[in-house]
Amino acid sequence: MIEATNLTKRYGAKLAVDQISFRVEPGTVTGFLGPNGAGKSTTMRMIVGLDRPTAGHVTVNGKPYAEHHSPLTQVGALLEAKAVHTGRSARNHLRALAATHGIGEKRVNEVIEMTGLESVAKRRVGGFSLGMGQRLGIAAALLGDPRTLILDEPVNGLDPEGVLWVRNLVKYLASQGRTVFLSSHLMSEMAVTADHLIVIGRGKIVAAGPVKDIVAQGTRTSVRVVSPQAAQLAELLVGPEVSVTSDERGSLVVHGTTAPAIGEAAAAAGVVLHELTPVQGSLEEAFMSLTQDTVEYHSTMGHDVAPVAATGQEATR
Amino acid sequence: MTATTLDAPAPAGDVRVTFPRLLRSEWIKLWSLRSTAWTLAITAVVIVGFVLLITWGMLDANEMSGNSEDVNALDAFGAVPYLGPTAVAVLGALTITGEYTTGMIRSSFAAAPRRLPVLWSKALVLAVVVFVTTALAVAVAASLQALMFGSRGASVDLGDPQVVRALIGNALYVTGIAVLAFGLGVLMRHSAAAITTTLGILLVLPILFSLIPWEPLQDLTPFLPNVAGSQITLTDAMIEQQAGFTGSVVLSAWQGFGVLLAYLVVVLAAGAWLTKRRDA
Repeated sequence: MIEATNLTKRYGAKLAVDQISFRVEPGTVTGFLGPNGAGKSTTMRMIVGLDRPTAGHVTVNGKPYAEHHSPLTQVGALLEAKAVHTGRSARNHLRALAATHGIGEKRVNEVIEMTGLESVAKRRVGGFSLGMGQRLGIAAALLGDPRTLILDEPVNGLDPEGVLWVRNLVKYLASQGRTVFLSSHLMSEMAVTADHLIVIGRGKIVAAGPVKDIVAQGTRTSVRVVSPQAAQLAELLVGPEVSVTSDERGSLVVHGTTAPAIGEAAAAAGVVLHELTPVQGSLEEAFMSLTQDTVEYHSTMGHDVAPVAATGQEATR
Repeated sequence: MTATTLDAPAPAGDVRVTFPRLLRSEWIKLWSLRSTAWTLAITAVVIVGFVLLITWGMLDANEMSGNSEDVNALDAFGAVPYLGPTAVAVLGALTITGEYTTGMIRSSFAAAPRRLPVLWSKALVLAVVVFVTTALAVAVAASLQALMFGSRGASVDLGDPQVVRALIGNALYVTGIAVLAFGLGVLMRHSAAAITTTLGILLVLPILFSLIPWEPLQDLTPFLPNVAGSQITLTDAMIEQQAGFTGSVVLSAWQGFGVLLAYLVVVLAAGAWLTKRRDA
């Protein structure tokens, strides 16, 4: 369980993370989704105590990370950039980390095997491909058999086989009751891996909840209607809540009402329908619409009302 | 059999960070990098090589000039404080800056988030390894000196506690400089900056202080880290001789080493304070 309360990080003038509060529940895969530079990595670094929050706090299993006597068994973290000395072999890297907790050679061999690094374990990390580096990072994260895993962009640089491997590993770990918190800017990856989502944009959380709900919240469900009397039907449906667009002759896309309502309205007016299909939005669309707002908002601030923004910041201090 | 199993601590419950374990981790880290063996080997070879070369040179010069007096074999060790620290300064700085430049520090601090025990275990492992290496090199140099030149009267008198103190002092001084470089590495986090600063303090500052004709600088020269610290490599008699041709303060062996230790305390304390506060 990870719990963040009003977590804030400011680098100089830039507010990287802006008073975010969230909770990552055990036994689920929680995705941390946002465009590059949204504050994902900063948040993850604050969880494991590498960055010091400007304000607010975050706990792991009830305590700040640094207060745990056995941090590696609480949280295994794969952080964004390589965090390995390039002159050391993969095996020695893992041995050195394991030694801090008195974790034995047996476990070191286990994680090497689990991550498929046997053939390169004795080679220096400097010569590793991005994918091998990611596997080593994941091996290090698994060393302490941790209750919580934090993976920052784990599929970055992996080949399709590696991506599938991470996806299955993550699901397996969550099925054992562990907390898994993984970030990505790839929506398609989240759609197949995560159960819950926290969507972040410009340092603020723009949505959080089960993947289904986020999709519903972020996209307007639309209905595709095909009718020989399309123009008549469009006039019939348009209202303050309902918008109708037509991309081709005889075909309509209706927003703001449901398929049954359209069917009933058509029947009442004697309009013939050839097709009536509810269209579910994708996570892609949800993500775009959720994060677009934050981006647009900030660019407007920058151009037009900069002085106001500045006074606003003074006020929050 | 059963008794041993019962006495052994449960492996799962004992998985936690302790200082001895951090020492072990740092020991693994130190020896799993090639630069460690190289810098230590260079240090040892330089110490042994120069002591023997200088002894040889001293004896030849002495015999050519027809001087009947014995040479002071300890003088040959005078090269150690000048040449010994260079390679270990690099090792000391890299011990910590290597972690910052590669990002390893994030793994280290994620595993031991209290951070300062990581610094102290690094410093301790570095100090012990450098001390043992330098002490062994000095011992080998003294043995070879006795073996090769003892018949010509050039061997150190190990029965003299002053000589033994001066020889061990060489190892202490070189270790002190390694830790100074480490401390500067903690402060600066960049390999080139830390190494340049350490070598600048060792090589450039004393020259600068002697070139600038401003009295206060001359008064401060004995308190420079290397000038003060290397007093420990001299016998009291040599220090007295030194007092003969300088007008400024002459620190005793332990006073001088104390000054070097004071620098170390200040640099390490500043480094610790910053390490605790900075983002990794």
